[in-house]
Amino acid sequence: MIMHAVNQSLQPILDRPRRATFSWSRRSIARWALLAVTVCTGCQGPQSALSPAGEGAEQIAALFWAMAIGAGMIWLVVIGLAAYALRIVPQPHDKRSSRRWVIGGGVIVPTLLLSILLMFGLAILPALVRPAPEGSLHVEVVGVRWWWRFIYPSPDGGSFELANEVRLPVGEPVQFDLRSADVIHGFWIPSLGGKVDMIPGRQTRLTLWPTAVGTYRGVCAEYCGASHAKMAFDVVVMPREEFDAWLRQQAQDAIDPSEPDARRGSEVFLKSGCGGCHAVRGTAADGSIGPDLTHFGSRHSLAAGSLENSPDNLRRWITEPQSIKPMAVMPGYHTLSDADLASLIAYLQGLE
Amino acid sequence: MKLRLKQRATTLAIFFALMAVLGSMVVVSGVAPIRASSGHWAITKWFLAFSKNRSVATHSLGIKAPELDDLGRVRRGAGHYETACANCHGSPLRARSPVALAMTPTPPLLPPLVERRKPRELYYVVQHGILFAGMPAWPTQKRPEEVWDVVAFLVRLPQIDRDEYLRLISPETRPAPLPTADGVATAPLATCTRCHGADGGGGPGGAFPRLVGQPSEYLLDSLEAYAAGERHSGVMQTVAAVLTDEERRVLANHFGKMMAPGTDPTASPEDSEAIARGRKIAEHGLPDANVPSCIDCHGPGEQPISENYPRLAGQPTWYLERQLRLFHAGHRGGGANAHLMDTVAANLQETSYRDVAMYYSSLGNASQEDD
Repeated sequence: MIMHAVNQSLQPILDRPRRATFSWSRRSIARWALLAVTVCTGCQGPQSALSPAGEGAEQIAALFWAMAIGAGMIWLVVIGLAAYALRIVPQPHDKRSSRRWVIGGGVIVPTLLLSILLMFGLAILPALVRPAPEGSLHVEVVGVRWWWRFIYPSPDGGSFELANEVRLPVGEPVQFDLRSADVIHGFWIPSLGGKVDMIPGRQTRLTLWPTAVGTYRGVCAEYCGASHAKMAFDVVVMPREEFDAWLRQQAQDAIDPSEPDARRGSEVFLKSGCGGCHAVRGTAADGSIGPDLTHFGSRHSLAAGSLENSPDNLRRWITEPQSIKPMAVMPGYHTLSDADLASLIAYLQGLE
Repeated sequence: MKLRLKQRATTLAIFFALMAVLGSMVVVSGVAPIRASSGHWAITKWFLAFSKNRSVATHSLGIKAPELDDLGRVRRGAGHYETACANCHGSPLRARSPVALAMTPTPPLLPPLVERRKPRELYYVVQHGILFAGMPAWPTQKRPEEVWDVVAFLVRLPQIDRDEYLRLISPETRPAPLPTADGVATAPLATCTRCHGADGGGGPGGAFPRLVGQPSEYLLDSLEAYAAGERHSGVMQTVAAVLTDEERRVLANHFGKMMAPGTDPTASPEDSEAIARGRKIAEHGLPDANVPSCIDCHGPGEQPISENYPRLAGQPTWYLERQLRLFHAGHRGGGANAHLMDTVAANLQETSYRDVAMYYSSLGNASQEDD
């Protein structure tokens, strides 16, 4: 009874003339093209696993495309079979050939395909987590709610600290030793390679091999609290000579400001207690709770990739950090006078 | 039987309705006297006193008194008593004001009364006041320790004579002439110096916080915060709110430009372990716990520090410990920069408060830096 009703209601659809109802009008072509462009531009940019600029990322992108194309083909075959069974030969099929299809298409082919995929995936895994070859650059990274501490080896043998911006030489492997100061964070530079969690009490590792000069963006890939989305960093991949010069320069102490306004700013910095949390190497400011500011002026962004490093943004960050990064440890210094703020900004942006 | 019950109920209902109408007529017509001049009937007086005592006894049941046998507490309690309570309740020094005596009920003389009350009952009354009796509540409900200071004084009150009282409220051991501040009436200045000392040093034994050595900017910011009720204190709000803007400015300048004399450190040397622990936190903070160093904002050090931040060196231990507890509880409030302490209060363990406080009080001199 019910089956009959269903058949009746389906009848108009089944009886429709078999011809294409979709026509490629000029308008619809334009519409599809626009959609394709929109989707594809989303794949570009400094933070995309689909425009790889590192060996790991290339393998991951290749894996992604292989899976996407494979999945697309399987989808076409399955839909084709469904159309065949519903529209072309709707009559009952021979029991033995049906069973062949079910066992072949439902058990053997998926097992085969998934096994190949698993082997492919496992094969590229060791390269992603392997330690970098002897003599490679090692960068220590500590995830802190909600910013990044980067510890570089200094050219004279020791080490020094930077924050929220990492620079790498192109065409060389670099090993990141990852730690967390509080909760689980995830270290991910989509353009360069895979992501690895940073787990409190453990050290994890990620080796990247950048292949193209450029500026990329790294993010925290593991939800870590209120301002998780504001925990990013800039990644600059540069030729070896430029990198060496940069490393030498960053390893140095801050240069005393010569300009009177900036000099006054350095006094505001110290007397307001900024040095309780922030370090500016070479000055009395030796705090280690917040990001090192020794070369703050040379960074692209501020507040861990939240804002472009401009005087206006810096003013906003100093006076109302909570509105930019909720629950950040940094308190708002909205009580500083305009003159003090201007001097402080001149000082900080001059720390190159 | 049933009928008679129903009749009776009706009669009662009519009776009560009539009473209600009559009562309303008395109130609305205004014939009932509300004047204080005629006092209460004896029975009303007895009933009010009885119900008040019962209420205080019951509501104070869960309150635990801290250690009250502490001269610092007694001094602070006496100081506030002289400012805010003596006018109505009298003191060993003076009689109750005739204005207070004309109240109904009359504010009682306290010495005979406090002997019959437990400290927790005194605390309850001082903290919350008494409805319809003219006894005000403490100006803030966020400072129970201040109320206990007053209770510590009250329980001793029956044994305190005139000379003892004088010594408690004007504790100058080093006799100093009452200073005059330019343009300020002597009265408000005397209110400051009565507790904090003419030299601003906090009086003997560190019973009060030191004003000397603090920058005028910080003192003014604090006075204004008290006056606006943004820094909570039944003692200081009472004093600061009645000053004029000009008086607050001149008083802040007066103490702000004083030279800091040496002090008698309030911490004893046998506490050196605690002091060492406190010093470590003060100088380096606890970076792993997001606690910054104290000295970068509060000194002492070679760097000049902002005029808007208090200097902590030489402040008495009890005061610093209390401030940290208040910050931790979110009850301190304060001036425009008080929020800078939020991170510290949230992350510094309570067990460290005393260590840090003892370190700073052991430093003894409030302004070693010369900025």
